[in-house]
Amino acid sequence: MSQSQSSRRPRSMYPPAKPVNAAADGQKMRSIIAEDPDWSLALVPFLTTLCLQHIINHFEENPILDQLMPNYKAYVLQRLPASLPLTVTANLISDESYWKRCCEVRWRLCDVSTYDNSWKRMFFERHLESIIELFIPDATDTKTVLDLVPLCQNYVKHLNVSQLLPPIKEPPRFDEDDSSDCASDMGSEGPSMDHFDFRILLDKLPNLEELNVVYGVKGCGMNFEWNLFEFTFRDCESLAKALNSCKTLQVFRIHHSKVDDEKCCMLVSQLLDHPSLQELDFSHNHISDRGARAIGKLLNRSQLKRLVICNNQIRGSGAQALAHALARNATLTSLNLRLNRIGDEGGQALAQALMKNKTLVNLHLGGNNMTEPTAVALSQALVENWTLKSLNLSNNRLGVDGGKLLEEGMSHNSSLVECDIRLTHVGQDSEYCITQALRANQIQAKIKHNYDPNAKV
Amino acid sequence: MHQTELFAEDEADEPGPSVESTNQEERITARRLRIVARNEAKTRQQPGEDSQGKDDIKEETRTSQKEVEQSERHMAKLQSDGLELLTNVQVAADARESDRRTEQEEACRLRREKLENEAKSSQEKFEEITRKWTDAKMKQTPLDLRDALNSQQQLCEQIIADKNKLISELQQELKASDDRYVKDLKRQANDIDLLAERMEEQVSSLKKSYREDLQLIENSFDEERRTLLTKHRKKWENQMKERSEKELRNMMKGLSLLEEYEDLLQKLRVQTAEEYNMDKIRLDTEVQNLRKKVQELKFNCYLNEDKLHYKYELLKKREEENTILKSLLKRKIIRMQDALNNLKSKCAKQEKQSKAENQSLSNDYARIKQQYKDMQKKERHFAALDAEHFEKLWLICEDEVKALAHRALETDRIIHEQQLGLAWVSPPVPFMERSGPIKQQTVRMATQAAADTLQEETREHLVEGSEGLENTGGGVNRRTVKRILELLCDEMGFLVESKLLKLLSHLEKNEQSLIKLDAIFSAIGIESEVDAYKMAEFFMNYRQHGGEQREQVEEEETTSEQGRSVEEPSDLIHHNDLLVALKDFTAQYCRPYDVQASQKSSVLGLEMRDDSEDEAYWESIANVMPESKLKLWSALDTALNKYHTALTERAELLVETQNVQQQNTELRQLLRLYTSSKASAETEIQTTRVRQFPM
Repeated sequence: MSQSQSSRRPRSMYPPAKPVNAAADGQKMRSIIAEDPDWSLALVPFLTTLCLQHIINHFEENPILDQLMPNYKAYVLQRLPASLPLTVTANLISDESYWKRCCEVRWRLCDVSTYDNSWKRMFFERHLESIIELFIPDATDTKTVLDLVPLCQNYVKHLNVSQLLPPIKEPPRFDEDDSSDCASDMGSEGPSMDHFDFRILLDKLPNLEELNVVYGVKGCGMNFEWNLFEFTFRDCESLAKALNSCKTLQVFRIHHSKVDDEKCCMLVSQLLDHPSLQELDFSHNHISDRGARAIGKLLNRSQLKRLVICNNQIRGSGAQALAHALARNATLTSLNLRLNRIGDEGGQALAQALMKNKTLVNLHLGGNNMTEPTAVALSQALVENWTLKSLNLSNNRLGVDGGKLLEEGMSHNSSLVECDIRLTHVGQDSEYCITQALRANQIQAKIKHNYDPNAKV
Repeated sequence: MHQTELFAEDEADEPGPSVESTNQEERITARRLRIVARNEAKTRQQPGEDSQGKDDIKEETRTSQKEVEQSERHMAKLQSDGLELLTNVQVAADARESDRRTEQEEACRLRREKLENEAKSSQEKFEEITRKWTDAKMKQTPLDLRDALNSQQQLCEQIIADKNKLISELQQELKASDDRYVKDLKRQANDIDLLAERMEEQVSSLKKSYREDLQLIENSFDEERRTLLTKHRKKWENQMKERSEKELRNMMKGLSLLEEYEDLLQKLRVQTAEEYNMDKIRLDTEVQNLRKKVQELKFNCYLNEDKLHYKYELLKKREEENTILKSLLKRKIIRMQDALNNLKSKCAKQEKQSKAENQSLSNDYARIKQQYKDMQKKERHFAALDAEHFEKLWLICEDEVKALAHRALETDRIIHEQQLGLAWVSPPVPFMERSGPIKQQTVRMATQAAADTLQEETREHLVEGSEGLENTGGGVNRRTVKRILELLCDEMGFLVESKLLKLLSHLEKNEQSLIKLDAIFSAIGIESEVDAYKMAEFFMNYRQHGGEQREQVEEEETTSEQGRSVEEPSDLIHHNDLLVALKDFTAQYCRPYDVQASQKSSVLGLEMRDDSEDEAYWESIANVMPESKLKLWSALDTALNKYHTALTERAELLVETQNVQQQNTELRQLLRLYTSSKASAETEIQTTRVRQFPM
């Protein structure tokens, strides 16, 4: 990259250099060279240009930027190479165009809109993420991460760690077992399978708001090994403590990480009374009733607004615990229990909780083995509840009678806008009726929505 | 986005009540209603047009609005359909997953049961083996032991075989699930492909439909816009035409006005040019004058400057001199101070001396007083003697004079009787009867005169006729005198003491004025009646001469007072002048009188003799022969002298004649000698003549 930079430089911003070189050609007195649009007859560059060029060339040793006049500053920033070490640039340069160049050089796809349109933030977040994702415990020095912390701590808000590599243990023995499988630098089974320890990082990032973690390997494909997806207890402990130390965290997601009840309890116990946590996502884990009870306890000891526990193993009793917590909760707006096994027991409990709750807006109960009795309870809840807007009941065998009960409940409701009843074996009549009722509610909601902005305007 | 942009375009093109969505239109109509209500009175026609246009637009907007709503609905449906289509995959996957789970649960349960059964059976077998181990221990013989061991081995192998069988079964299951995993992976990949495909489809179809809808909406909007544009253009053109006509008219008007104004301007220009020229000439002259003045002033200024410089120098010098003088004067003052001190001491000495002198002089004064008293006594004595002497002398002289007078009278009588042959009447000779010096006649006092004059009033009515006789020396009318006195009485109240006034307050008016007059006269110094009359006369004169300047004022006053005081004669002095007149009078007359008075008072107790009468007395005696008689006498004297001369001449002539007669006689005698007759006749005539003139 620096090669290209250096090759481009004399053409673009150091035009007089060329005539000096081309002095032998005898062309230096030509006022126009049709092939070269940058040609200029100015034989001697301005002293300021020379100075600025010098500053750019020696920026690494002697970074001078803030002392410059604004137009010179822009000139320098425009021409600084993206390969400069971060230790120099991180806290000195705030110019977005420079960081844009850095990002574009480094990654092919850059969607800056997800980073509040800040290229610098994007660069540092993605840089940190890549370093963490490629961190191999015991093999990689923690200094690589810690060195970066003072540079990026002010700019990192979201951290989306899509994989965490396990440590490499006894490669010779592993190689004996299946050396062909171990193409990448993945660790094998061993006494210590701990991953990257978040404790060293999270308390040093004062602006961190969102943390997405996956204790697993991304894109292993056919090289699948169980031990690639280990989430050890010590990992969990360190993560929990790290979370507790990070008081600015608002969103925490942990997917595909084999979080079972014990680990869930551990995480939740450290998240109790967290000052800023708003969203919690435990999807695609192994949480069952005990973990659900713990989460239910957390519900009323935090400001959680969104809770996602989809694709876990929560059953009736866990759902009851959640329902009990939900009945007393006043902050939660969205609850996702997709692909659990709460059954009628949990469904009824949740429906009863809905009658008391006045904040929940979205509820996803798809794929939960619920049947007709839940439909009865839900239809009652729909009559009572006026806040719920979206309800997903897909993949539950509610049956024709259940559909009719729901239809009756819907006829008394005016707040529900979306209701997914696909693959629930309800009759077509009731499905039609429910869609009609939903449409009426949608129109009403739209009118209400239109009125409000107009009133403001 | 597109919709809003379109709206924006429309708004930009159409500033009036333009195409808007229902809500915005509501807003606009609300606003418009307000504006219309405000402008109703002003523009009664326009709102009508506007509302008409608005109705049209409303209808038009409805078509576009319908289009928009329809497309919205269409798009929403498309979107929800697409979403459903996509989520169907997920839901199906979910369904599969849940089915798989239920299956897995079932399989798990079966496996667990199988394992449990297996475990139970193997446990039993294991127990059997262990039991057999104890049996084997009991066995003593090696053969038995070998048998036992063999059986044990068999049993163990059996168990192991069972286990191996189970393991292989489980491994088969595992392999199956591995296959399934692979299949699931493939299926998921397929699902994802399907999802992507569907998404792309959705995107393209949505894009297409959006584009179509957009086209439709745009078309409708374009149409509306076009119609609106044509309408407004027509309106615009009409108004433009009107406007241009109006402007043309205005321009023509303006041109005519311009011409008028140009003429006017020309006139004004000429006029002002003339005025300007005149003014310029005038101002030029003025400027020249002023320049001259300036030059003069400059010259003066230079002069003055020089003068002032000179004066300044002078003053400086003077100041220097002054300082010198000042110092000198200071020294002098010091010297003077010394002198003053000396003089003071001298003065003190002098004072002492003068006191002593004073003492001696007072002593002298007492002595001299005593001497003076003695002298007075002596004087009185001598005066008495002198008076006596004077009387005697007077009598002697009188006798002499009387004798002389008598003689004179006698001679007069003789002259009369003898010379003139007239009967002599003796002139009145009062002094003949009396003898001795004239006794002091009591002078009639001014107060008495005043009283008389005042009393006159009462008498006046009775004795009108005698008024003329009463006129006193100055010819001043008594009545005027009286009036003047009254005036005095009124005006000169300040001369009277206040105590007296109080006492007088209860008296009669005449008496009051009398006493007042007395006081006033005594204050002024008038004592005799004559003085009083003199005063009155002076006042009259003053009025005539000194008061002339006041005549005009007086005239006015008199004219104003005429009705009231017709009788008041104009010869009376004005009371305002009285005080001035009195002052003048006192200044003129009273001074000598005061001296007289002081003289009189100095004689003290001695009787005052009035010499004034004496002179008159002696004069009267001297003038016992009146002037006429003296004239007669002088005439007689001259006549007699003439007679005497005539007589003396005659005597001489007589002598001559006698001589002549003698001669004559001699001659006659001679003549007789010659002729005796002629000589006798002449002598006779001469004798008769002598007889006629005896003297």
